[in-house]
Amino acid sequence: MPDEQTLTQREGASTAPSQAASGTGLELKSLTKRFGEDVAAVDDINLHIAHGEYVVLLGPSGCGKTTTLRMIGGHEEPTNGDIVLDGESLLGLSPDRRPTTTVFQHFALFPHRTVRENVEFGPKMRGISKAERREKAITALDMVGLSALADRKPSALSGGQQQRVALARVLVMEPKALLLDEPLGDLDRLLRLRMRVELRALQRQLGLMFIHVTHDQEEALSVGDRIVVMHEGRIEQVADPFTISNLPENVQVAAFMGDNNIFEGTVTAHEGERVSIDGGEAELRVLAPESDAAVGQPAAVSVRASAVQVGEQAAGANGPNQLLGEIEVVEYLGDLVKLHLSAGGRRLVAKVPGDRYPQFRGKEGSSVRLSWKEEDVRVLRA
Amino acid sequence: MSESSGPESRPGLHVEEIVEAEQVVGERAPEEVALGEKERAGARGRRALTTAAWTAPGAVWLLFFLFAPVLMIVLVSFWTRTVSGFEAVWTLQNYEFLFDSNIYWDQLWNSFWHSLVIVVLALVLGFPVAYFLAISVTSLRYQIALFIIALAPFWTSYLIRAVAWIPMMGRQGALNTALQEVGLIGQPLDILLFSDFAVTVAMLQLYILFMIAPIFFMLAQIDRSSLEAARDLGANAFKTFREVVLPQSMPGIVIGSIFVFILTMGEFATVRIIGGGTVSSVGTIVQTQVASVQFPQAAASAVFLVLAMVLGVFVLLRFSNLREDL
Repeated sequence: MPDEQTLTQREGASTAPSQAASGTGLELKSLTKRFGEDVAAVDDINLHIAHGEYVVLLGPSGCGKTTTLRMIGGHEEPTNGDIVLDGESLLGLSPDRRPTTTVFQHFALFPHRTVRENVEFGPKMRGISKAERREKAITALDMVGLSALADRKPSALSGGQQQRVALARVLVMEPKALLLDEPLGDLDRLLRLRMRVELRALQRQLGLMFIHVTHDQEEALSVGDRIVVMHEGRIEQVADPFTISNLPENVQVAAFMGDNNIFEGTVTAHEGERVSIDGGEAELRVLAPESDAAVGQPAAVSVRASAVQVGEQAAGANGPNQLLGEIEVVEYLGDLVKLHLSAGGRRLVAKVPGDRYPQFRGKEGSSVRLSWKEEDVRVLRA
Repeated sequence: MSESSGPESRPGLHVEEIVEAEQVVGERAPEEVALGEKERAGARGRRALTTAAWTAPGAVWLLFFLFAPVLMIVLVSFWTRTVSGFEAVWTLQNYEFLFDSNIYWDQLWNSFWHSLVIVVLALVLGFPVAYFLAISVTSLRYQIALFIIALAPFWTSYLIRAVAWIPMMGRQGALNTALQEVGLIGQPLDILLFSDFAVTVAMLQLYILFMIAPIFFMLAQIDRSSLEAARDLGANAFKTFREVVLPQSMPGIVIGSIFVFILTMGEFATVRIIGGGTVSSVGTIVQTQVASVQFPQAAASAVFLVLAMVLGVFVLLRFSNLREDL
């Protein structure tokens, strides 16, 4: 099962990629891309991706995720480093000679060819006979449920259908790795929600390596076995969706994933396994057995919005891990209520179950007590 | 297909749901949906009127400046020549004279081939320029700047550009002098001016932009990522060109070829200036006949010139379905 595979590979892959070099899968070694002299779009990236794994490169625009994908596909030459697939370097191979294929953001279909001719293009370039490539194309179109529209031109299709053609067109190539560059970016929201589930299902069914680039956190969490969070050309964290969401390693990841309350302050006490941090408006106490933070050092911690407990009648004493906040905006999102709060000029977010909405409706301006459990405080790397 | 398509029963994606989700909202224009039968008919009538109003200026223009003159020429070609012009007396005399004249048919045939050669040369030389401008130059600013520079010859009049060939290509012109200075030739080359070759090169220079521009506009529309997709799917650079770039630029090639073909086929000014009386074409024949007040004869000559052009355009249009591909 892909899941077990992923879980066992996760630790090794994120920390010591060179160990897997002789094995199978895709290996990025010190991969670097510079545009001009100083600007490193991708800065010394190491990553191992196993066959059958669904990996998402996630980050804000300009973080280097697309450049990384383009280097894997051969559309961009790395300045430094190596790309190894199943023990063989892909460097210097043009895209047509790599066992990878890409789904482009705007689909990049051939407008002058019909749907079937689009799908047949790859096999045709490989010199596969007409009858055989027709059969392959129909199979691939069946897989994405589009065989009924085989004779249409792409311009006669909706966005979702064009997306499916783009998928069929790469699936027919039976690539070793499928590269998806913001594949859902051109679709409207409802379709995007549906397509990501189908992408996930398709990947499971095919057992193929998918590398998916997106800037959408929710999309990344939804499809990925593993998420690679990138920032300014570097990898900030590689982990499964649960870890990324609940245990961000550093400020960049915590901030980018959103809905994390980040406190930056100084260490005031370090007693045994417990670290106390003065975060300005709040004192945060956290169990951090591995922390070597000394008193007086700067530190950053984060608390998930959903871990913040909101109560009107919480304990009176001003203890650690609690503070008084004022509700600024109540945002009802159906399943949950998002409270935007301020506490002494600091902005905070809290998420409570949607059925508590009546309790907060119209309560902008009123004070609430905010608290969280010690184990929900996460120490971030600087 | 839709009966057995429970989420578990069939692997892969389920198109029915998507089709439903993206259902094109009705086939009627939105404003019509809410209207009753009567109002709808009214709306259709108004739309037809609007369409007619938009097409009217173009239609009137074509009627007065294309169809009427051509019709006039056809009529005059069947009329009788007088000393000062022509009179509306039907005759086949002009055509009899034309069919007896070997010179006319030789010239028509010559001009036809000559134009085809120029079209092919313009295509071979112009396509790389258009490709460079549209595809290789990635910055829109440079693209526009370079395209304007390419259009620079149009900043001056056509005649000036044609006449400018004489100091360039004459016996004592710039090119001959330079070649002699360098020592590549001992005697000035006569072929550079007042020759068939000179006329061909001059026309190529004068009209190549009519080839470059339409191809440029077609190529500029090509989604660059579709070229990357082709490479990605196993096409090498040449196959990408043949399978993706060329088919998509076909309308531009056809339109450019029609421009160059039509313009060179009827040419007489360049032929006069650059050919210097040693070269003639159908255009110069017609012009000579007009100059000597043989209007009906000139009209008859022009009729077959137009027919030859129509034939050429017809053949060129076979290469692309402009209505669909544009």
